[in-house]
Amino acid sequence: MSNLLPPIGHALRPARFGVRFSKLVRQRETGLLLLIVLTCVVVGIKDIHFLSCEVWREILVRCAATAIVACGVMLVVVTGEIDISVGSLMALLAAVMGRMISEHEWDISCWIGIPATLGLGTLIGVFTGCLVSVGRVPSIIVTLGLLTALRGLTTLIMGGQNIDRLPEGLTQLAKQGLCGVPLSILAAVGVIGLTSVLIHHIPLGRRLYALGSSAESARMAGLSAVRLKLFVFGYTGFLTALATIVDVPRLPKIEAGIGSEFELLVITCVVVGGVAISGGHGRLSGVLLAVVLMTMIRPVLTFMDIGEAGEKWTRAIQGMFILLAVVTDSFFLRRQRSSGGEHTA
Amino acid sequence: MNSKSQAGNAFSFSWWHETVIGVLLLVVLLVAGWLVPGFLKPHSQLLLSRHLWEFAILALGMTLVILTGGIDLSVGSTMGLSAVVFGCVQTSTGSLVAASLSCLATGLCCGAVNGGLISQLRLHPLIVTLATFAAYRGIAEGWSQGNSYSRFGTNFSSLARGSWFGVPLPGVIFCVMAIGFAVFLSNTPNGRFLKAIGHNERAAKFSGIAVERIRFWLYATSGLLAGLASLIYVARFDTAKADVGKGFELDVITAVVLGGTSISGGRGNILGTLLGLLLIHETRLFVSRYWRSDELQWIVIGSLLILAVLAYQLIARKPRS
Amino acid sequence: MHRPICWLASIAIAVSIFGCAKHDSSQTTGTSGETATASAGSHKLRVALLPKIKGISYFSSCFKGAEEAAKELGIDLIYDGPTDGNPRKQAEMIEQWTIDGVDVICVAPNAPDVVASAMQEARAAGVSVITWDADGTAESRSFFVNQASAQAIGEGLVNAMLEDLGPDTEGDVVIISADATSENQNAWIETMKPALAKSKLKLATIKYPGENASNALADSQDVISKYPNLKGIFGISSVSFPGAAEAVEQSGKGGKILVNGLSTPNDMKKFVQNGTVRSFILWHTVDLGYLTIHVAKALAAGELKPGATSLKAGRLGELSIVGDNVMLGDILVFTKANIDQYDF
Repeated sequence: MSNLLPPIGHALRPARFGVRFSKLVRQRETGLLLLIVLTCVVVGIKDIHFLSCEVWREILVRCAATAIVACGVMLVVVTGEIDISVGSLMALLAAVMGRMISEHEWDISCWIGIPATLGLGTLIGVFTGCLVSVGRVPSIIVTLGLLTALRGLTTLIMGGQNIDRLPEGLTQLAKQGLCGVPLSILAAVGVIGLTSVLIHHIPLGRRLYALGSSAESARMAGLSAVRLKLFVFGYTGFLTALATIVDVPRLPKIEAGIGSEFELLVITCVVVGGVAISGGHGRLSGVLLAVVLMTMIRPVLTFMDIGEAGEKWTRAIQGMFILLAVVTDSFFLRRQRSSGGEHTA
Repeated sequence: MNSKSQAGNAFSFSWWHETVIGVLLLVVLLVAGWLVPGFLKPHSQLLLSRHLWEFAILALGMTLVILTGGIDLSVGSTMGLSAVVFGCVQTSTGSLVAASLSCLATGLCCGAVNGGLISQLRLHPLIVTLATFAAYRGIAEGWSQGNSYSRFGTNFSSLARGSWFGVPLPGVIFCVMAIGFAVFLSNTPNGRFLKAIGHNERAAKFSGIAVERIRFWLYATSGLLAGLASLIYVARFDTAKADVGKGFELDVITAVVLGGTSISGGRGNILGTLLGLLLIHETRLFVSRYWRSDELQWIVIGSLLILAVLAYQLIARKPRS
Repeated sequence: MHRPICWLASIAIAVSIFGCAKHDSSQTTGTSGETATASAGSHKLRVALLPKIKGISYFSSCFKGAEEAAKELGIDLIYDGPTDGNPRKQAEMIEQWTIDGVDVICVAPNAPDVVASAMQEARAAGVSVITWDADGTAESRSFFVNQASAQAIGEGLVNAMLEDLGPDTEGDVVIISADATSENQNAWIETMKPALAKSKLKLATIKYPGENASNALADSQDVISKYPNLKGIFGISSVSFPGAAEAVEQSGKGGKILVNGLSTPNDMKKFVQNGTVRSFILWHTVDLGYLTIHVAKALAAGELKPGATSLKAGRLGELSIVGDNVMLGDILVFTKANIDQYDF
């Protein structure tokens, strides 16, 4: 994961070892990886079970949905926009999907229900993109509005009843998986592959970065901001639908609160992973490491056995982890960063 | 980005956004007054206005923060931490004055930490406040162990529930502050510097404005206001607990951007924020009292936000093509 | 050229709002009579039922019973509550209803202290206030429809677990709660602790996943790996109980680790039938809603006065009143044998 090539601006990198090394040290990934390894070592000393295969299998399964959506949101942030509606979108898609394919509800075949869910996700994503690019409403406003509106819509659709009994085949695939690999992991690997190809090997990726670094230059170079933005938001919508399909059947039932605070988790992973919030740079490997780090915190706290009073500090420790990841990076490694607020929207 | 580059293209009339929001507010009031009996009665409006004041006070600080192109996601969590400090101090010393002062001081400290990280380490406000959003709430939960402190006496709660010549006391505080903020913004150099920073930070820096110092005090102020909002909240419900102010940050940001403050900075004023706050408040009341449906309230507020900004874009901006 | 698209988009949003609004208004009028228009000149009794969280299956089933009673008694029933369970919103709804002049407000307080002042104001304005599902502060309400006290719930959970495990079992148990600030859950935990201390089970830890199904599942999986001697998990919120059951089922330790908690039977049928959950407790939620509306009606009609010792409540018959608590009856224990009899 971590040896993905940086997207742009690194083609002229000198090959001298010393320079390479100092670059490596200054990269966000190194810090994150160190933090992950260090935490693993500390927790491993306290309780060796933490390093067992079963625990890490579960952690990776939990990472999958976040990683899938983070791939999309990362591209959104790279183009200088933001998407904070993914949690509510996930809930809406879960409700719609549940309504369609549950044996207690309409009981439509999965072969229709799943593509329909993917289609709806993409459609809402494109709609968001349309408002942002054509309607020129800042993305944070559009997605903030959708965050509240879609959550309310989900509660209406659910009508106070939970949905369970999804088709057996789907839940089995989500829990046990193909040849022991859960569906969400397969999907995540696919999405990560696809996204990295998109970033590194086709012009579209470079155009996204160009648009994020300077909208004006991108326009002068003949790039269509409208089309690019439609693409990133549509892609994020599609990925959110995919994450819903592979992750939600793992849960015991579908209820209206699914995906609450998911958008914050995803955004946190993206910014902790080193994607500049003002757009233009950021790497997939950093985001993926941040996903692992953020997902790790809950099991780490369980395995540290911090006691009953300690458990109530969970959220504080999570916040400290985020601060630590961000502050060490800026303070000790003196990465060059755009100072805040120059162009956030 | 658009708002800045396009600002020159807008019609010469520069109050389009306030007009759009004002008209929407009127429409909502008229429809509500027609459909809900007694909706417009001053008595009930004043009584129910107490749902508004904490948001309103937070929104003043948030307007300034967003004007500079920043954002403060930690205000709700700051409220939680301030409330817990209030409760702790009150139960240990028994003094409401000491408790109130420490509540405000906590807010100021939280804001100062944000401001310090943002201005000294040059971190993006979104990143810093996203982290402190979790951290402050978590510290509040851990410190109070999830317990609540309550029964501070009727004198204290009447501060928030009582009224002064018919106007609720927090409303009076807010009005005074709103006027102060409006004057500060339009009539003092520092106020104008805020807009300058939002418009073009680099230019502001080169023209000698102490950007980092201003930014530090800006977030500190936002924290102090969160402390004040927390104090009013605690007085209103007579309860201090770690979950005070949960979810406030997004509602406040909604009100501010609905009020016409550009999220990329440089444009906005207190009047717009006031209209945005009122629009959200009245819409909530209307939906809640007419349809009795909390989920519908979410849908309407979310759509209203998108729709209002979209309408503004349509009316006030010339199409780019 | 972009303008038409913008207009189309705004029309689409407007239509969707209108569509939702219409849909919902028809729902409200269908279920609760003409709530908005009935206030002028109607003699119908208006009762507002406030759940802790609107939109979860527990309170939806209570609402079913309340609707039934409202139809029976010809009551105008308002049912609304915060979908996110925020007690501040509960207080604000009480204030709105007070101004709208409803006759009785039935509150299930999510945090008794937070809603207390709003309830007292409502009483001062002449509205009758009762609590149901969870009690408020004593001076803020006239009666409490008591389905189970925190004491009974906490001890009931522990006793059901001990019965399933055998009273002499040694080992660890874990509680998966909601948020660290959830007052009801914290009250239950306080009563569970002494009950657990009497047994040979050891409370290993308490987890707080919030009202988040993924976190509840994750925390349950983690404690299963962390504590090899784990015998039981208490899932005491509407998401943590199914989450814990799912985790046990997925780990393949169904039957070795028992899961217990509070839930409506329909939500847990799957897990009871496959043996992951041997028994769990709740009360008859439909009856709870039904009884609440009957108490509200009796109070408004003046049939129920302080000091009464019994109340006739429709199909439930004569129910006893202890102090100012209207007693619903015993806690139900659901097992494989009886769960199919219930449908709520």
